[in-house]
Amino acid sequence: MNHIKTEVHNSPNVNGTIDVKERIKKALFQPKGNNIIPPIYLWIGLCALTVFTLTPFIYLVLSSVTMKSELINGVIFTKNPTFENYINIFKGGGGSGFVKAIKNSVYVSVLTTFFSLGIGVFAAYALARIKFPFRMTSLFCILAMQLLPSISIVVPFYMMMRDGIQIKLPFTDLILYHSPPLLDTIWALILAYTTFSLPFVIWLLAGYFQTIPKELEEAAFIDGCSRFTSIIKVILPIAAPGIAATALFTFLGSWDEFMFANAFTQTYESKTLPVVIREFMGKHSIDWGFMTAGGIIASLPPLIISILLYRYIIGGMVAGSIKE
Amino acid sequence: MFSNPLHKQKRISSRAFLNRQRKDYILALFFLLPTFYVLFKTYIFPIYQSFIWSFFKYNLMENTDTSFVGIRNYSDILQSTEFWVSMKRTIYFTGVSVFLELIFGFFCALLLNEIFKGRIIFRVIIIIPWALLTLVNGLLWKYIYQPGYGAFTQLLRFLHIIDPNSNPVWLSNSDNIINFVILSDVWKCTPFITLILLAGMQSISGNLYEAAMIDGAGFWAKIRLITIPQLLPSIIIAIVLRTMGAFKVYDILTVFTGDPTTSVSYLTFNNAFRYFYLGNASAMAWISTLFMLLLIIIYIRILKRNTE
Repeated sequence: MNHIKTEVHNSPNVNGTIDVKERIKKALFQPKGNNIIPPIYLWIGLCALTVFTLTPFIYLVLSSVTMKSELINGVIFTKNPTFENYINIFKGGGGSGFVKAIKNSVYVSVLTTFFSLGIGVFAAYALARIKFPFRMTSLFCILAMQLLPSISIVVPFYMMMRDGIQIKLPFTDLILYHSPPLLDTIWALILAYTTFSLPFVIWLLAGYFQTIPKELEEAAFIDGCSRFTSIIKVILPIAAPGIAATALFTFLGSWDEFMFANAFTQTYESKTLPVVIREFMGKHSIDWGFMTAGGIIASLPPLIISILLYRYIIGGMVAGSIKE
Repeated sequence: MFSNPLHKQKRISSRAFLNRQRKDYILALFFLLPTFYVLFKTYIFPIYQSFIWSFFKYNLMENTDTSFVGIRNYSDILQSTEFWVSMKRTIYFTGVSVFLELIFGFFCALLLNEIFKGRIIFRVIIIIPWALLTLVNGLLWKYIYQPGYGAFTQLLRFLHIIDPNSNPVWLSNSDNIINFVILSDVWKCTPFITLILLAGMQSISGNLYEAAMIDGAGFWAKIRLITIPQLLPSIIIAIVLRTMGAFKVYDILTVFTGDPTTSVSYLTFNNAFRYFYLGNASAMAWISTLFMLLLIIIYIRILKRNTE
């Protein structure tokens, strides 16, 4: 760095115009500081990135405030924007279905996050912090589960939900609890999503827990903390950003899921937003204003969450990739 | 008697240590038990069950008895053109979209890893497509591809790439549809790869680039000699995660087309929940699972060869 800077200073000013030209050239084509891309290409790239990323999204937003009659004639920038599409979504029988779908989506995503973190935190702690036989094997098995495509269990899962879940006393035929059929309830979805998020949650959390220095916990043990209290008092507060990131990914994943929701739900009692949005396509086949408005409402929570909690998402990505 | 107090102390502490260790084993088991129970009940057992069913004729709608048919489900699937068409399209979709997303994602991450004013704004912008619901992404792009008033047609007319009076129907046949789905998938999922690679790039030390600059390395040399080798673990993770995601493509396709042969997942889902051929669907799911595993093993092989 220094080497180059001194060179710039020593360059002889033979001619004023050449100097200005040189300077402009340097400003445009010489990467600044530790950067590796020259400024001009950097900004060209950023402009292209912004245009490609935002144009479809802006089109989506613009269409949602435009009436159907205008959209069909190919109007993109409407002169009289209206919120009528948004109002129409909440009107009538379809409207109450849509509200119910929002509720279902919230319940399913929140409860899935709650259950998978509640179970996963302890498993992740055990795998990251306690030495015991078959630790690596267990970790590997849990990781391997993450790799299988979800389509492979959708069929048996469907049958399980249709017949209701049995909880048996281990190694006997004694049935402790037999649930009613869970098809067309949000519990089928919560269970399915918890199953799929659990390996992922454990993977991420174990990664976070491993980064916490052992000394901190040992100090807590000397102070007379048990394992359990040290989890609550030491591990959880320190790993809070990691837990937040994990919760966020779980929430977003459950909010977005469609295949299981499509298979397991039949009525508005359990339909989640993606399923209802998919139905719009059949019912309002060319009312794109209506459909885009619905799409925006459904995407609003993930959009807001991921923009506001951007830092945690990046943190989660870092932890996830450091792990390997 | 020369009992050494120190020795005694040591014995006690080692017993305490053993005690502690045993306690730890029990605690670990206790902590892992809920996870193992849930995963066994809702993951391992169902997978085992679908493996069993894949050897049975099990049609839920026909009310006929289930009967053992051996490998007939598998041989039927492997002989059906439907399956091979959908498999080919899925592989094409996965290969092309992951490749494009990796290339674009890499350059986006490179841009966003630089230091400049307003970087945070650009970093947040790229999250927007990723945060949209997958299904809404499908809806948005189907709208964009609508003949006549769709933005795609209008843009091409505006740029005089197509004749202003012509009105092509973009989503006319399933092979075309795959290409258009790839475009929409690239729009939505490139940010995901960008974020992973960006996370990886942040751990590359600036000193490496400085050293390379002093050696007179240009932009491409830096990328080839420093960025890519250092970033390889992140690249592999991004590829594995995206391949798995792309291979099970289903959501977007249901919006774009009613043709189940556009992806294996779609075909499997239709067999299972439209016709309720559970045996057949289980067999098909197992074939794609095995295919997926094969793919992952190949990736790991490549990764190992590259790190050695």
